[in-house]
Amino acid sequence: MKIACTINGKRVEMDIDPRLRLLDMLRETLHLTGTKEGCGEGECGACTVLMDGAAVNSCLVPAPQADGTEILTIEGLAEDGTLHPIQQAYVDTGGVQCGFCTPGFIMATYALLLESPDPTEEEILSGLEGNLCRCTGYSKIVEAVHLAAERMRKVA
Amino acid sequence: MHYQRLASERELLDGLAQPHAAILCGGTDAMIKIRAGLLNPSLVLDVSRIESLRGIRRNGDAVEIGAATSETEILRSPLVRDTLPLLGQVLVQLGSVQIRNRGTLGGNIVNASPAADSAIPLLLFDTEIQIVDRSEERWMPLESFFIGPGKTALESGQFIRTLRIPIPREGGGSSFHKVGKRNALTIAIASLGSLIWTTEGTISEARLAVGSVAPTPARLRSVESALRGRMLDDALVADARQLITSSISPISDVRASAEYRKNVIGDLLVRALEAL
Ligand SMILES: Cc1cc2nc3c(=O)[nH]c(=O)nc-3n(C[C@H](O)[C@H](O)[C@H](O)COP(=O)(O)OP(=O)(O)OC[C@H]3O[C@@H](n4cnc5c(N)ncnc54)[C@H](O)[C@@H]3O)c2cc1C
Ligand code: FES
Ligand code: FES
Repeated sequence: MKIACTINGKRVEMDIDPRLRLLDMLRETLHLTGTKEGCGEGECGACTVLMDGAAVNSCLVPAPQADGTEILTIEGLAEDGTLHPIQQAYVDTGGVQCGFCTPGFIMATYALLLESPDPTEEEILSGLEGNLCRCTGYSKIVEAVHLAAERMRKVA
Repeated sequence: MHYQRLASERELLDGLAQPHAAILCGGTDAMIKIRAGLLNPSLVLDVSRIESLRGIRRNGDAVEIGAATSETEILRSPLVRDTLPLLGQVLVQLGSVQIRNRGTLGGNIVNASPAADSAIPLLLFDTEIQIVDRSEERWMPLESFFIGPGKTALESGQFIRTLRIPIPREGGGSSFHKVGKRNALTIAIASLGSLIWTTEGTISEARLAVGSVAPTPARLRSVESALRGRMLDDALVADARQLITSSISPISDVRASAEYRKNVIGDLLVRALEAL
């Protein structure tokens, strides 16, 4: 079926198999492989992208639901080769180890900071409750969110 | 498989007349079932953008919430926060941010998991749901809607438009607790919600609802009436614990044993009564 949406600021029109998940459409049809598949069941958050500004599990969204929406993936964050402040903060605090969970965490962080530019510890924990990381033990991730928030507030 | 993004109820009714059609809204339950082969529709009817199934408004003494309204929208609603705080308290514990951004009350109740979290406050509020098909629209108490695990009174050709939630009168003390393995994304091992009014130390009305300890989320009418008129003291708390554990017969499964579930429900009721 035909769908049209905006992906990372670019207008895209496609004829897709309606059985695809948004995750498959991004990774396989558009080759945007930054978005990862962990569990495929909404539990791990590795596949998190933004749909009209809200974090969603792309493994649970039927691709046809992307029609008419704006999708933002991890590929849409860096500008001209410069990392987005959230990405840079994850690097700087050591919030990245194997990195598999990172795109999902960064997109969940992006959605969180859209809503609360100066989140409390509690808001960070609930904003990231849908994301799992097997490596970092989370404290460096929370640190990364604080750091990113601080840097982004300075710029804004 | 065909997929239709619907804009109107008329299209939905036409679609439901087709063989092997299935409604999908947020997809957080349906996508998993489709991928696991548990659901094999030849036509998927996406209701998430039908305007008449969306929104939150006050209607007299009730709040009406469209079946396709996302849990996040409900959490953000000042009307819900002011009139039905318990609903918000439950929904923030449902799934995760990502799940709540897509998941809906219509999906949660039609999925009819014995652990459906939204069902607990909705049952406590005596919620009615509006069922629509080609020939009629009618209201049904949510309590009669649940039939068994994954089974509801919804028949083929029907959909849910709205939930009507009567605002409880002032002064009640409410609680909701669920016990599970970790905080976020927890499928409850047992959950209990309560809404209790007292006058001068005596219980004037008690409403109790439980999840994960029966084939469906359920009100505990017999315990409710046994509590009514009783003085709220230590003896009552002990009796109530005894009453509630003997009135439920949960099953043992991979997540917890029946005995553990009974104890948890007893403890949760004690906690709710002591907090009054
Ligand atoms: C990782 C994860 C965690 C979760 N955590 C929880 C939790 O903590 N507590 C909890 O209760 N649930 C939880 N869920 C389950 C799920 O998110 C909820 O049940 C959600 O509310 C379903 O809404 P939906 O719109 O996504 O439903 P969908 O998946 O779109 O639909 C579910 C069912 O409802 C039917 N349906 C939907 N809308 C209508 C309508 N208007 N009329 C008739 N039929 C309709 C569909 O046909 C389908 O059978 C979780 C799910 C996942 C994947
Ligand atoms: S892959 Fe989507 S949540 Fe795990
Ligand atoms: S860095 Fe390895 S899973 Fe998070």
